[in-house]
Amino acid sequence: MRRIARRSLAAHRLTRLACLIAGLATLPALAPAFAQQEPQRGGTLRIAQGSLRTADPHRHTGDSPVQQVYAEALTSISHDGSVKPMLAERVEVSPDGLAYTFHLRRGVRFHNGREMTSADVVANVERVRDRVQGGWLTTAMRGLRAVEAPDPHTVRFVLAEPFAPFTNLLSELWILAPETEGWATTINRPIGTGPFRFAEYRPNIRFVGEANRDYWQAGLPRLDAVEFDIRQVADRSLALRAGDIHVARIPDDAVETVRRDPNLRVTFYGDTEWCAVSFNNRSPRGPFADLRVRRAIAHAFDKEAFMQTVGNYVVGNQMAAPGSYHWDEAMERADPYRQPDLARTRALLAEAGVVPARTPLRIVSWQNDYSLFTAQTMRGLGFNVEHIALDDIGMQTRLTRYDWDLTPVCSGPRADIYLRFVRLMSEGPRPQMWGGIQDARLDQLISQAVTTVDDAARRRRYLEAWQHVMDSHQVLVLGHRRSPIGVRAEVRDFQPGFTVSPHRVDGGVAYTWLAR
Amino acid sequence: MSRAGRIGGVALRQVLLLLGITVAVFVLLRVVPGDAVDVMASEGDITVAQEDLLRRMLGLDIGWPGQLLAWGSDALMGDLGTSLRYGQPVSDMVWAALPVTLGLAAAGLAIGLALGVALALLAMLRPGLAALVDALNVWSIVMPTFCVGLAGILVFSVWLGWLPSLGHGLVPAAIIGLDIGGQIAKPLMEDLRETAEARFVTALRSRGVRRGALVWRHLLPNSLTAVLPLAGLIVAGLVGGTLTMEVLFGLPGLGALLLDAILGRDYPVVQAAILVLSAAVIAANLATEAMQRALDPRVR
Repeated sequence: MRRIARRSLAAHRLTRLACLIAGLATLPALAPAFAQQEPQRGGTLRIAQGSLRTADPHRHTGDSPVQQVYAEALTSISHDGSVKPMLAERVEVSPDGLAYTFHLRRGVRFHNGREMTSADVVANVERVRDRVQGGWLTTAMRGLRAVEAPDPHTVRFVLAEPFAPFTNLLSELWILAPETEGWATTINRPIGTGPFRFAEYRPNIRFVGEANRDYWQAGLPRLDAVEFDIRQVADRSLALRAGDIHVARIPDDAVETVRRDPNLRVTFYGDTEWCAVSFNNRSPRGPFADLRVRRAIAHAFDKEAFMQTVGNYVVGNQMAAPGSYHWDEAMERADPYRQPDLARTRALLAEAGVVPARTPLRIVSWQNDYSLFTAQTMRGLGFNVEHIALDDIGMQTRLTRYDWDLTPVCSGPRADIYLRFVRLMSEGPRPQMWGGIQDARLDQLISQAVTTVDDAARRRRYLEAWQHVMDSHQVLVLGHRRSPIGVRAEVRDFQPGFTVSPHRVDGGVAYTWLAR
Repeated sequence: MSRAGRIGGVALRQVLLLLGITVAVFVLLRVVPGDAVDVMASEGDITVAQEDLLRRMLGLDIGWPGQLLAWGSDALMGDLGTSLRYGQPVSDMVWAALPVTLGLAAAGLAIGLALGVALALLAMLRPGLAALVDALNVWSIVMPTFCVGLAGILVFSVWLGWLPSLGHGLVPAAIIGLDIGGQIAKPLMEDLRETAEARFVTALRSRGVRRGALVWRHLLPNSLTAVLPLAGLIVAGLVGGTLTMEVLFGLPGLGALLLDAILGRDYPVVQAAILVLSAAVIAANLATEAMQRALDPRVR
């Protein structure tokens, strides 16, 4: 039996080191405004980060971070991306990767005062798997052969085949008291175990969580309440600067203004967004099926300049962020497209017999600077460019026609590298964003990786899959960006999550306090 | 045509207009690429198979005519449907948002009317103030409400710290009021000046009618008829300004609801919100027409 915590520690050593160095580098500048004090209790943290589409944590489809303050899971993702036990005290994985045994913490109580048992965990898993159709994790739970409660404090999951991100995905299977009203249909007032109780929810306006004074982590939460502002507002940085909000996701172009304000600081999610240009892989048009033409286009991109238009960036050639566990330095060094090479571009186009001026090239994109940059780069090569820039959903829907040639995209933080790779699979979610890849070899490589039990072997397989993507020129990665969060000076011990999660076992809003 | 027949004809036209708007919005929403399930899928990692399942659950898998018939028949029975995003009754969401929008619109209109009338009167009595009226008129035409709102937050909340940046209606109502005031003051001032030169005014003066009574009883009621034809434009501007201010200042009114619903392709919410806003604009236009008939005998 192996312990998850030990495995994760090894897996994310590199990232932690990078975070530590970055943290140390910023300390001197922050020292006057953020001097250490003893944590104070009380106050309400006003936070504008994330959304809450439904009060029912099992029904959301992937973007409901706010619920994490009232509902907790068996595991939790740390700021560095490692998986840690949360409602479980420890996790054991069988050597074949098929059985996961979770030993639950003693004394964890739901907000109605009842102690959580293994039967509750099983009931939640069954609700997600069998009753909530179309919800987040529904598909992942299909790979579950059995879930058992051998005793009140042990839960055993048996999988049909090894599935590496299992403990990771369980961090988003929230455990509620099955006696919660609406269990059979839709839950409107969830009873969880989190550091804050579900107090008030007005869709698209606000969520208020009141401190759970019987929380299982002694001394936490330090705040009296958290108030999430979930309104649609043009620019959060103004409310942050005015002191109306303590913590807010801010626009990239507001970062410098926020940094100049002595009452504010800027921090980032642990994970990055990866930015890439996808070719139309499902039904490539004209010369764009030709590998030489794809290579020519790749040589034309100035990655540094492209990423400057994205902001808060690092240039790269992989789906995994530089410095992270699944990133490979040798692969990065071998990147033939690190610098633009227009002479090579022209030579390859000539070799393929492509005359850009006579070649239509259609770009479908969002309305942003890096899309304009992409269109301008292609115009610079002389292509007859048609640029269709749409809103978020308009663009994603337009891509499904597969009558285009290029699309520049950035994709947000994910709790596990598999959640990035799965998008490149034939049956993956939102396939159009990556040109609708349908590549049996790639499917096989990713499937092999995700079912590999050994960490190092799995990493090698993911790298092999990524090498295949690069060799096939299906997607060209240009770099990674980090999403900025503005934090007021009086907010202490707040660190954003690896993804948008505001609460985790070793950080987040339960630890946060307000200096007065 | 009899009075009853005329009223019936007007009512029928408005009902048909409302019906036309409803159908147009219904069709336009579906022409725009993407639906609520696409939005959900873009936020997470659900598979194509799950998307199909959600479409079936939300009734998005049936054709447009079927959807329109289902929504229309429910709406006629007073049921505006359920939000595709939040699973809540749409009527509850609209009723919760309506007071915020009406309150902001009423406050903006009151400020605008008071400002416009006062400035026009002052400029008639003190010709030197005409430049101020002209400036406000140009402001109301050229200044985008959105930019003025952002500047308002920056000045009153960030720099001066007098007001919270979000969730209050003071600055938004003042900005809407400035816009309306600027639109009213100029034509009203011009008409007041013209009316002041009229022979009946000279006659009233010669009979010793005092200036206050002359202005309030004779000049203003006469000149207001010059502003009434602008009412349609003012109401349309008022709706637009209110919706913009709600989004900028985080006010939970119909504008914020509508924006979220459009971005989330929450069809029932968009349809209901536009139905309510259209009905309000139509009612305002009817009221204006009635006032015009009451005040101006030439229109009767």
